[in-house]
Amino acid sequence: MTVPARPYDWPLSGTPGPADTALILIDMQIDFCGEGGFAHQAGSDFALLQATIAPTRRVLRAFRAAGHFILHTREGHRPDLSDLNDNKRWRSARAGAEIGSPGPCGRMLTRGEPGWQIVPELVPLPTEPVIDKPGKGAFHATDLDHLLRRRGIRNLVFAGVTSDCCVHTTMSEACDRGYDCLLLEDCTASVLTAHHATILNLTLRDHGLFGAVTTSTAVLEALPAPTNAPSGAPDPL
Amino acid sequence: MTPADPSGTGGPQAGPVPGLYPWPFDGDLRPDNTALLVIGMQRDYLCAGGWLDCAGHDIAPLAALSAPLGSTLSALRRAGLAVLHLREGHRPDLNDLPETKRWRSARMGAEIGHPGPLGRHLVRGAPGTDLVLPALPGEDIIEVTGRSGFYGTDLDALLRLRGLRNLVLAGALTDGMVQATLREANDRGYECLVLEDLCASTSPAQHAEQIRMFALAGGLWGSVGRSADLLAALEDPR
Repeated sequence: MTVPARPYDWPLSGTPGPADTALILIDMQIDFCGEGGFAHQAGSDFALLQATIAPTRRVLRAFRAAGHFILHTREGHRPDLSDLNDNKRWRSARAGAEIGSPGPCGRMLTRGEPGWQIVPELVPLPTEPVIDKPGKGAFHATDLDHLLRRRGIRNLVFAGVTSDCCVHTTMSEACDRGYDCLLLEDCTASVLTAHHATILNLTLRDHGLFGAVTTSTAVLEALPAPTNAPSGAPDPL
Repeated sequence: MTPADPSGTGGPQAGPVPGLYPWPFDGDLRPDNTALLVIGMQRDYLCAGGWLDCAGHDIAPLAALSAPLGSTLSALRRAGLAVLHLREGHRPDLNDLPETKRWRSARMGAEIGHPGPLGRHLVRGAPGTDLVLPALPGEDIIEVTGRSGFYGTDLDALLRLRGLRNLVLAGALTDGMVQATLREANDRGYECLVLEDLCASTSPAQHAEQIRMFALAGGLWGSVGRSADLLAALEDPR
């Protein structure tokens, strides 16, 4: 059974299963969704991002129970900032939140700092790879493509923040690499609602320019009920 | 990073380094456009009880690298070259380990991820992945899962960001990570120099075969030279 979605029922290859379908959570970090994080320091309305945590948590729990491969991405730079583009640094300083400079949650968008951590509601299990990325797209300068191909993954379900920045860039990269992408519209957000709407429209254009769009409810209804409790550690959620 | 000199040329011009051809090809050798890649200088390769040792390979040629490479590393640091360290290792959950690679390592008798005297073989964070020549602050470490240091890593991004166009390669194994990284670097437009006296394989014959192969067409992937000549070139700015 496919997932009811716009502009096509997803995925094109038919029923998505644990063997070929992964869930990827983009940048659900304190720096974006938390008080005192990078987004907050840059003056953004991070409450819009925070609102994605609850539905994303339901989806994460269901995908874990169904045995899907789950990946998390984390935007952040090496502590020596050797991977920080000059223009990215300049832009962040201009926004009042220079990457690498101290904030209430430690050095902003810097690996190892409190703000760089994933929010406690969505903390990864040890078996769920975390991709540390210096760019907007999670494929740039990372082993994401390698991890997905090794598992035979061809369908990607996207949740996370922000829809107009890292989520869209990563979906675009994934699309070019041949992955069939599904965006969960209530599990992603932008700090600007107009941008969020623009991205949804862009995704839907031309019969799914970057994949398909649906809701967390639709994907949860389409997932087969787990026949058994998953083996191993109990779900911490 | 070496600050640009007041003349705006980014440091004194050095070189060229003798070898397959006077390196670099265009004579543009400066400390601030040149990086040393220290490859595979990790306990899993060089030390007793490490992965290669457990797999029955002769680690003596590799262990012999650490003293001379260490002294060249110090000299190149003083000359102001950028230094990056490449090491092979997998995520602890082995999600990045292809079945083919696991199968081959098991066949060698030292399956990646299995416990050995230096912790789990080729697993990040295990003592076996410790660098024999430690990285200084400001020297990035690249965690490599494949043969090439470019595959699935931020190496290319780091080099481009700092304008590092000339790459000096040294370490282990000549016929493993060194040659694979060399080939990919060349395809990406980097101008490479392999230091033949500071690379090694588990057998001198395999090392020699690779060095001979690098000489194809007068240096198809870059030049091959010696550490003393590189140091002399850098100490004697034109």
